[in-house]
Amino acid sequence: MTAIDRSPARSTAQSLARRPLILGAIGLLGLTRGAQAQQMDINRASAFIQSTGQELVAAINMDGPVPARRDRVGAILRRAVDVEGVGRFILGRWWRTANAQQQQEYLRLFEEVLIRNLSSRFGEYQGLTFSLGRSQARTEEDVLVSTIVERAGTPAFGLDWRVAEIDGQPKIVDVIAEGTSLRLTTRSEYSSVITRNGNNVQALLGAMRQQIGQLAAREGA
Amino acid sequence: MIRSRLSNAPGTLRGRDRTRSALPFLALSLALGLGACATRPDPRDAEAVAEFRANNDPLEPLNRGAFFVNEGLDTLVLRPAAEMYRIFLPPEVRTAIRNVLANLRTPVILANDLLQGETQRAATTTGRFLVNTTIGIGGIFDRAKDFGLIGHTEDFGQTLAVWGAPEGPYLFIPVLGPSSPRDVVGFAGDVAMNPLTYTGNAETWEAINITRTTTTALDAREGLIEPLDQVRATSLDPYATIRSAYRQRRLVEIRNAPTGAAATSDSGLGSGIQGLRR
Repeated sequence: MTAIDRSPARSTAQSLARRPLILGAIGLLGLTRGAQAQQMDINRASAFIQSTGQELVAAINMDGPVPARRDRVGAILRRAVDVEGVGRFILGRWWRTANAQQQQEYLRLFEEVLIRNLSSRFGEYQGLTFSLGRSQARTEEDVLVSTIVERAGTPAFGLDWRVAEIDGQPKIVDVIAEGTSLRLTTRSEYSSVITRNGNNVQALLGAMRQQIGQLAAREGA
Repeated sequence: MIRSRLSNAPGTLRGRDRTRSALPFLALSLALGLGACATRPDPRDAEAVAEFRANNDPLEPLNRGAFFVNEGLDTLVLRPAAEMYRIFLPPEVRTAIRNVLANLRTPVILANDLLQGETQRAATTTGRFLVNTTIGIGGIFDRAKDFGLIGHTEDFGQTLAVWGAPEGPYLFIPVLGPSSPRDVVGFAGDVAMNPLTYTGNAETWEAINITRTTTTALDAREGLIEPLDQVRATSLDPYATIRSAYRQRRLVEIRNAPTGAAATSDSGLGSGIQGLRR
């Protein structure tokens, strides 16, 4: 996708005397965005969510000890989720104030929190099934794939997956449960922890480590 | 009798138990709120200012106090009550109760559908009421679903939003949960719109209304056992998580946007006690 295709921006730019400058800026924006996320095909996104979801359900319902199942789920998530992109999005403005070491530590902890949050609730997820709802493209960059999650004895609920193409591969960039986006909610949560601790990113890292410890204790592994 | 209650309705919501319990908190909020404001960020930090505006929570210290009080109340009273409700009543009975409560709420939903100019949804609401009250035996069974009439909810807080009323700053009200001035006014509006508000003071009606309110609260809290447990277990700051989730959820509800299975269940993070979305 080139800058010329972005027609709303283009028509505005045409009417301006400083067109070359603006087009250049838009072109640069297009390039940086293009490198990360390209137009995502709806069918491809749906198929990707279907197969990833089935893998996850199979891993959760697998026989065997929790640590083995957790490893399996971890492997699926690492492959299917744009952990770095989501992690950076969530840390938001604090990403730049963190030093390189804190950034790395944060991404490592973030991935583990993600996996532990899921694995600590394996019991609840037993016998869960899910089916694809209708899909719809949302923005230029990603596709929203809706699914219905069902479990005996509890009401069905809607789970939407935001899928973007990252380096040629479809990746999950957000999960939206009943209209509530995981990355938006978590960004608010993390930013609040940092702000309330004197704008200190290290405080968030400490809290995340503690949380991983608690989750691990909860699942007894 | 109905007329006499109507004539003084808007001003005398004190007659209604739910509103009655909310009013002291509101008064307290207003009184204390003037003295307890959130620290503003450095005006030179544009991103911090943007975040402060987006959070729109100038009463944060006070709200966090209310949240803390609510956590205590919830741990000691509300959650255990909801657990009891779940333990003692089988799922079929709970579903029947939920259906009856939802059916009783029809006038409020219908009025708000109409006030928002949603004629299609108003027709669905009317159809559901007719089918469920008759074939569904007084609303016990949701037979309307079999006719393709899927339930939805509306409240006056959403209507005010559709009309363009601003949301106002974030409010956390013990027992009622996350809210905003717009939703508080909406809540009062819904009570005023509900015909059951005007049934008079006869003991039987009082008993029926108290039972309805209590059951509504129990049903709402029962449906939130897992989601709230999860927030408490996994969030590093449950207050901030609930604030963000409430805002997102309300936006979806106001837009009536079909998000996957929006109509199938209730996050309950809407405007406190009104988990009648099924």
